[in-house]
Amino acid sequence: MIKTDVIIIGGGATGCGIARDLALRGIPHCVIEKGDFAAGATGACHGLLHSGGRYAVSDPVAAKECYDENIILRRIAEKCVEPTGGLFVRLPGDSKLFRERFLRSCEEIGIPTEVISSTKALELVPNLNPEIEEAIKVPDCSIDPFRLCMLNMRTSKLKDGLSFTRHKVTEIIQSRGRCIGVKATDAATGEIKQIYGNIIVNASGAWTNLIAGLVGCTVPLTLSKGSLVITNHRLTNMVINRLRPSSDGDIIVPNEAVCLAGTTSLTVEDPDKIAITPSEVDTIISEAGRMIPHFNNTRVIRAFSGVRPLLKSQKLDSREISRGFQIIDHQNGMYSIVGGKLTTFRLMAEKMVDIIMSAFNLKRACETAEKPLDGQEELSGYPLSKRLADMKNIICECELVTRKEVERIIEQTGTRHVGDIQHRTRLGMGPCQGGFCTFRALGIMHDMQILTAEQSVQSLREFLQRRFRGIRCALWGDQLREEQLVEYIYLGILAMERNK
Amino acid sequence: MSVIEYDVIVIGAGVAGLTAGTLLAGQGLNVALVTAGEPTACLSTGCVDVCSQNENPLQGIANLPDLHPFHLVSSETILQALTDFQQVMTDMNIPYTGTLEKNRQVISAIGTFKTTCLTPLTMESSPQSIDEKIQIVTFTGLKDFYPSYIISRLQNASFSTYDARVSTTMGIAAKFEDDAFLEAFISWLENLNISADKIAVPAVLGLESATAIMKRIASRLKRPVFEIPTIPPSMPGRRLFNALKDHFRSKGGVIYWGWPVVGVEKAGRLIEAVTAESRGRPNSLNARAFVLATGSFVGGGLHAERDTIVEPVFGLPVHVPSQREGWFDQDYFSANHGIGQAGIMVDTSFRAVGCPWDNIFVCGAILAHTEALKNGCGHGFAMTTGHAAARSCLEYLQ
Repeated sequence: MIKTDVIIIGGGATGCGIARDLALRGIPHCVIEKGDFAAGATGACHGLLHSGGRYAVSDPVAAKECYDENIILRRIAEKCVEPTGGLFVRLPGDSKLFRERFLRSCEEIGIPTEVISSTKALELVPNLNPEIEEAIKVPDCSIDPFRLCMLNMRTSKLKDGLSFTRHKVTEIIQSRGRCIGVKATDAATGEIKQIYGNIIVNASGAWTNLIAGLVGCTVPLTLSKGSLVITNHRLTNMVINRLRPSSDGDIIVPNEAVCLAGTTSLTVEDPDKIAITPSEVDTIISEAGRMIPHFNNTRVIRAFSGVRPLLKSQKLDSREISRGFQIIDHQNGMYSIVGGKLTTFRLMAEKMVDIIMSAFNLKRACETAEKPLDGQEELSGYPLSKRLADMKNIICECELVTRKEVERIIEQTGTRHVGDIQHRTRLGMGPCQGGFCTFRALGIMHDMQILTAEQSVQSLREFLQRRFRGIRCALWGDQLREEQLVEYIYLGILAMERNK
Repeated sequence: MSVIEYDVIVIGAGVAGLTAGTLLAGQGLNVALVTAGEPTACLSTGCVDVCSQNENPLQGIANLPDLHPFHLVSSETILQALTDFQQVMTDMNIPYTGTLEKNRQVISAIGTFKTTCLTPLTMESSPQSIDEKIQIVTFTGLKDFYPSYIISRLQNASFSTYDARVSTTMGIAAKFEDDAFLEAFISWLENLNISADKIAVPAVLGLESATAIMKRIASRLKRPVFEIPTIPPSMPGRRLFNALKDHFRSKGGVIYWGWPVVGVEKAGRLIEAVTAESRGRPNSLNARAFVLATGSFVGGGLHAERDTIVEPVFGLPVHVPSQREGWFDQDYFSANHGIGQAGIMVDTSFRAVGCPWDNIFVCGAILAHTEALKNGCGHGFAMTTGHAAARSCLEYLQ
């Protein structure tokens, strides 16, 4: 039996942010995550640190929150954020009226903007469509959601916070109508842990109602699937947005060596059933291609999707639903926190912990906006030279990940899952999508006796199947060519058994 | 633009193209081979898969679906192609073992058994069952070989690690060509006091002299030694390619290396020339007939666009299996992806169906309905169709 004060269900940005805030305010807590940190919508987004511009017209409150948090995160999470700046580009035919509303709203909210000519915009981003009418510069940034979660959890760990990944909450323990704990099943061993706490925070995103449902509660949510594609090139050094009301494929974000474009917005029922269709991929590419024409002939290395947990509203198009967040007090010791954005995760955590503090009758102010994230000193960011220094032992050529880095993550986390290494090093996130390096990473894992060789082979199979889900709708051109090679390696050279 | 005249131009330097080119050059024809670069054969295990769907390759072929291009060749031709190949490889000091009567097993780098027909002699002693006693040797820092994958499957295997001071497949293979290195390696092995029945090494036993190196280690250690094929870069694939290439040249064939074909010249029902680019300069290569052996997608013979598939050299009609949605099965390991059907459909003379020209002959992995991975039709299929297409081309020229 484990005893703590606050149980947080969900290890996305919100859950990790709450853990850090609680840690800094001295409250014992425990995070329970059914997969790995950042495994849900957090890790399946653009990696865009919004300036707020995207929501300035439709949702000024959320836009203001975004802008304030943008400034805070650039300060406290320096090693997670690349201050790229962003452009809203207006294409021929895009409404001029919307442009006026956009500039006015940004001004009212306080988001700094600068209107620049198409010539100036093309100087900044040479790959832009030369036909653009003009562009508006905003302080959008690129952010690494995986690293962000890991660093929030670092503070939690330093203050003796508990966390269990790959533990699924299967039951909420109740006593006299109050939620007093949870039962969580360890996916690896099947062991059931009983964890008791005074407050339970349901920060499980798209799975909110599965958790709330365990005690007969429901939260009015709309699940909105957003799909994205990744290209093998960094086609732009700035975030590119289309200057029009939100629509499919109107944001492109540079992230390390690649680019992400999206999204779509489709209402779904089941957060675990979110297949992507080739037509979604085609839509994103042709829309992104209107802003950056190279998109049409660049290799798309993968498509993926995440589910946004949006507050339910009467609005038919899920894109018009507020991106604001809400905390719901179920009046039984459990709170659900829903809505919001990756950009506003810290603010969401702050508000949640404020409520927890007043429930505990404690007074200690939030410090998360002032203190930089712990553990950033040892991170390299992405300077090529530093990575190339250990070139001899590079095991992921696409993302320049060394054997040493892989070994360090295994030692630090004791992980048995190759996905955990990927989330923490970017191993396998480049053009071959883990085609070569995963075989090696798993080989290293059993060299280090973390896995038996049978488990390695099994993990390799699971990895290849999972990987394939993301790439099978984006296979044509050179990417199909590379995929045929990867298939030949695993099914031909390594003769991995077929499913009959 | 320079103009050069040949009897036949072969496009593609894989097993199909080199087999066809060698056969034609052997008939006294003036043959040139143009290739954009190294063929995918270099990435292969070097093993010759004919049809791995049955213990008996010929029976496996008989069981293939009706549209499979293997049905366009007789079993005599298959036998002839394989016999010729084995003779060539023996002459080139890279002998192959195996027969068309029975497939054999080669252990893979993750300990599974790969079914194939002919193997380089360096893989002859690969275990045929999981209980053979095997000592695996690996090399410090070699990132593409993890013996514990194999040990998990072979009950009586163990491994030791040798420090070759280099850690890449090619680097270690190059070292093995050096006598002093080989001697030091053998002494180290002797000091291990190996009790296992066989010794296994990843396929790094030399760039070209693998058979001799393998035999020398085996005779000194008094037990069989075999290579385990690795993921690319693969030495056995490279050895196979180099041998076929050298043999083609020895028959008088010319190779234009790094010359991608960028255009064609046509006249009526004939292709008169292809334009190949060398350092950005176009060169017109004239010929009376052309053999297209540019491979499947990975080799560049087929190119998929978002909604269709094209053959980039001549623009031949391509059999496109369904819409993109149906190109890939949900199950990665089904090996049953629709895309495997894509390619050029040919008639019994290996001319493309619907092709407006009479002097193009098509062979190898570019052919439609091959499904190379699913059916285990690798180099054996390539050399057989290369052989058959060359015969048909010869008949046309005469």
